[in-house]
Amino acid sequence: MPIDHKRINPPEDAVPYKLFTKLNTKSSQEQYQQILDKNQIRKDGRHASEHRKIYMKTGVIAHAKGSAYIEQGQTKIVASVFDPREIPNRLDYCLKGEVYCDFKFAPFSCPKRRLHQQDSQEKEYSSIMKKALEAAICRHEFPNFQVDVYVLVLHNAGSALSAAITAAGAALASAGIPMFDIITSSTLAIQGKDVLLDPDFEEETLSEIAIEKEHGIIVISVLATHDQISHFHQVGNLPLNVVSDSIDILHKSCKEIVPLVQKCVIRSVLAGISET
Amino acid sequence: MPLCDAEKTFVLHGVDANMRIDGREREDYRPMELETDVVSHAFGSARLRLANTDVLVAVKIEVDSPFPEKPFEGKLEFFVDCSANATPDFEGRGGENLAVELSNCLASAYRSNEALDLKKLCIMKGRKCWKLYVDILLLEVGGNLFDAVSIAVKSALYNTQIPKIKSIHVDGSQIDIQVCDDIFSCTRLDISGAPLMVTVCKIGEHCIVDPNAAEEQCSVGAVVVAVSRGCLSTVLQTGTGSFHPKTLKECLKLGFSVAQNLEDSLMETLGEIKPNQDVGFLK
Amino acid sequence: MDTNNLLVCYPGQRLSLCDKVYNSGQGTYERQGYIYSNLAGLVDVVEKDGIKIIEVHSPGVQTIVPAQGDIVTAQVSIITQQFCKCYIKCIGDKVLSRHFRAILRREDIRATEKDKIDIYRSFRPGDIILARVLPITEAHTYQLSTAENELGVVIAHSEHGHPMVPISWTEMQCTKTYAKEPRKVAKVIPESVHEDFIVRLAGNVSEN
Repeated sequence: MPIDHKRINPPEDAVPYKLFTKLNTKSSQEQYQQILDKNQIRKDGRHASEHRKIYMKTGVIAHAKGSAYIEQGQTKIVASVFDPREIPNRLDYCLKGEVYCDFKFAPFSCPKRRLHQQDSQEKEYSSIMKKALEAAICRHEFPNFQVDVYVLVLHNAGSALSAAITAAGAALASAGIPMFDIITSSTLAIQGKDVLLDPDFEEETLSEIAIEKEHGIIVISVLATHDQISHFHQVGNLPLNVVSDSIDILHKSCKEIVPLVQKCVIRSVLAGISET
Repeated sequence: MPLCDAEKTFVLHGVDANMRIDGREREDYRPMELETDVVSHAFGSARLRLANTDVLVAVKIEVDSPFPEKPFEGKLEFFVDCSANATPDFEGRGGENLAVELSNCLASAYRSNEALDLKKLCIMKGRKCWKLYVDILLLEVGGNLFDAVSIAVKSALYNTQIPKIKSIHVDGSQIDIQVCDDIFSCTRLDISGAPLMVTVCKIGEHCIVDPNAAEEQCSVGAVVVAVSRGCLSTVLQTGTGSFHPKTLKECLKLGFSVAQNLEDSLMETLGEIKPNQDVGFLK
Repeated sequence: MDTNNLLVCYPGQRLSLCDKVYNSGQGTYERQGYIYSNLAGLVDVVEKDGIKIIEVHSPGVQTIVPAQGDIVTAQVSIITQQFCKCYIKCIGDKVLSRHFRAILRREDIRATEKDKIDIYRSFRPGDIILARVLPITEAHTYQLSTAENELGVVIAHSEHGHPMVPISWTEMQCTKTYAKEPRKVAKVIPESVHEDFIVRLAGNVSEN
């Protein structure tokens, strides 16, 4: 991992102090038991199949062509979209435009400090976002051009990737980039028999660890009008039938977010009209 | 080589009739050639040739200290190298995106402890562990890289020998590890859960596995399905294009059943390989 | 502006059936017999010869890219023996927020005596020119042409940095030093005949 010498970095062997707190002495099994009670109610009072409340706003960055800010529970993300520009360092002509995605966690967004350089998780998320958005954007409308989408996570309280895709979709729409559909995304965390929609940070981390044999995280993004899944991503260890059922749950949940994004986009159009 | 519309229609009709351009059925793989223990400096290695795709995987082991948040676990890292020998497109930084995609996919497929138990790689809690570097070299690219790479990685891990530790001396913060002198007393990894990836391509109304270069061009979308121990360990889409939920489920089902057949035949083949063969690639 | 009677739509919204009367226009796409919106913006129905074309326009500065046949305003940045490099600043009367690179080859400077063109006798770095976008070929950048009377240099400064005025098809004169410099001068049409000009330009396009 290359280190940026212009910044002051903590000593290489520094570790977050939270590892030594009382909570961490508990095994992940015990931690997990506290997450969900017998009535399928989670720590924050939500039912296992309940999505967190979303707040969304477009036009938060004046410089960008289009931008969106999303709050999904405590998760806070800013997405911005810039004018199409010519693809740098490219010699051949390409019929379809390109989408460049940059997903970044702010250094203070997670319990553990993030580095300024993109780490492998951020790179992975960028490429997932790119694939999800590419299917939604009419790339044939701007051949030889590239649209830049930048996403910055200010606070990661779980399901950051989903929230980022939803926000980026709204930012693209408000930037006037031609799109086939509004894109929304949703996350599901599974541990054993428990299925948690829109997990928070703790639920997400604990579902990545094999406490029981079946566990995992599924992220999908949906183009609702045409009933298409633009991207599907799963990690963990899950039987086929569980994944199949999860697709239905997530598909439904994504469709529920659509009216919100629509409203947000329409509001940005009206704001644009009243300006002119 | 880009295909013209007529050629694409030909491929499409072939898939419809369950008779692909090279005579295979929709769920058939092309012939494969597998060798293990090909690199003498590596702790384990394998080379796989799937039609025109050629992959060489070598595993190197080093002693490292575990992550503070996971004191009981060893480390596993994947590096993919897209050599410009494989295809001229990889010249310069051309292969970088593909390499990142492949190594990310492998890392997420192996992330679960059900796939590979990293606790077995722990030498001393919170202090020392083994770190496995899995280096993947693409020697030739002829389509269907994900499948080929996953098979080669699994075979290389199967072939990997971890030295036995004779004794550990702890003196304050100093840790001395003594490795067994006998080079033949090694432990092997349990790879029964190591995932195999199958790329399912959607062409027209049907899904196929192991697409060749022409079929890859005709496909509207592809899903990589990684299967370990009868469960899906990772699913991700490659390329662009969207799926109807029903189609996606069909793809997953097909990938799942094909992966299980592939797993059976791979384990059978690996069982047949005799140690210390002196014929083959790099020998 | 009254925002109550406006038809606002979002991307992916189904706008109408696609049939003989209703056709998909700018900002929309057609899929399985229906017209859907591409953009978040205002729906506009344009009637022409009994056909209703449905268009969607997004508010604010539109994302526009040069297309074949567009008249663009560009600034010359580098000249060589074979071509000159320019930056496209405006398309038609729309100012771009981001400049596009373009190339004007020597043989596209004027329509006659193509073999006798010298670039340095036609353009200098810093000149503002009017040009037409040529069909996009394999090459990555846009190609321009000034091979029309109305196209060429419109604003130029002399070697001493003073503005120049056109005195003939091929020469401009400095307003301060009265020095003459060679240029491929555009015949700028006054605003009043603007409409005519556009009709003539449109005629040129169809001839080409």
